[in-house]
Amino acid sequence: MRRRGVGAGAVAKKKLAEAKYKERGNVLAEDQIVQMSKQLETFKSNLEEFASKHKQEIRKSSEFRVQFQEMCATIGVDPLASGKRLLVGDARCRNGGLITLNELHQRVLSGRGKYAQDVSQDDLMRAIKKLKVMGNGFGMIPVGGSYLVQSVPAELNMDHTVVLQLAEKKGFVTVGEIKEGLKWEKERACHVLDHLLKEGLAWVDSQAAGESQYWFPALFSELTSRDVTPEEANQMSP
Amino acid sequence: MSFEWPWQYNFPPFFTLQPNVDTRQKQLAAWCSLALSYCRHHKLYTLDIMEAQETPVFNNKKIERKLSMEAIQVVFEELRKKGNLEWLDKNKSRSLVMWRRPEEWGKLIYQWVSRNGMNNSVFTLYELANGDDTEGEEFHGLEDWMLQRSLQALQTDGKAEIITLDDGKGVKFF
Repeated sequence: MRRRGVGAGAVAKKKLAEAKYKERGNVLAEDQIVQMSKQLETFKSNLEEFASKHKQEIRKSSEFRVQFQEMCATIGVDPLASGKRLLVGDARCRNGGLITLNELHQRVLSGRGKYAQDVSQDDLMRAIKKLKVMGNGFGMIPVGGSYLVQSVPAELNMDHTVVLQLAEKKGFVTVGEIKEGLKWEKERACHVLDHLLKEGLAWVDSQAAGESQYWFPALFSELTSRDVTPEEANQMSP
Repeated sequence: MSFEWPWQYNFPPFFTLQPNVDTRQKQLAAWCSLALSYCRHHKLYTLDIMEAQETPVFNNKKIERKLSMEAIQVVFEELRKKGNLEWLDKNKSRSLVMWRRPEEWGKLIYQWVSRNGMNNSVFTLYELANGDDTEGEEFHGLEDWMLQRSLQALQTDGKAEIITLDDGKGVKFF
């Protein structure tokens, strides 16, 4: 029997064949992925259509709703897709979870395409109120003529809220200002400020003349965007 | 081009080390990035901790706030942990600032070499940092110690070999 060729030619031939098989294999795999994504796309769009057609039923039966939502979550369909989604997450890193309604509105507008529906501040307020129902993650704090939107869970009570309101004009507040403005005992003021520091909402400035100032990045950025320098803000009397 | 200050630079409490751990972490990250981009803009390679307090970066005269010596030490230590700073003395008074770490410089140099098809060529260190060929490259004018560190990093990766030439050091790229 003749020995099978093992010369350089044979090796090269074998390598070429292997490479060709591999290439062909890759093409097949790619085809399959394309096919599957197409099918998934179709399924997704059918599911979305189904969701919008049978809105009433989905709402009525809680059992059906749970199952339907689980299914949607598995394949990445948003059953509530209405194009009115809110991204407040941005504010988290910078401001410890607080952002003025104004700034949020600007961000939402700039984040949407030019053909998108207009979103008013009122729309935003409604959306946030709805989110609030889902837990204490979101909230609105009235300050001055506008609102601060809170996007991280922080337990804020009435005391914290009024202190934020007091800080609104200048971006900061001091223990003395709280004592005078709100007629509180020193302990109460310190307690509230400590809590705001602990929640990461306030920053302390201990180089200020007189007493320490407690600053709120969210309010500060609103002041600077109105081209008010901190010195100017400092001079404004509460 | 003038240096663009981040918003924090005008935020008075930025110059007070924050008591809250999470807030302080954000603050230190912002300080590190500000210090590095400032040194990069002004091509500073060494920082003296005593002088630091008077440099504009740690001392904002406009809002009359400056970082305390202790806080500057904390920022420097943070930079050291990230591999962007090295102490030059035991007392921790002078430091090398590396707005790019040696490996990053090495990568830039090696990219330039490969782009110009000069692998397997020998360069003197002077040529690399000050020659006409590298004019316009970011590593042009790089200080000698930093250049050597970058090339050592490349050598460790097997991409270069530092060699001794008659008139100083040279490097061969692979």
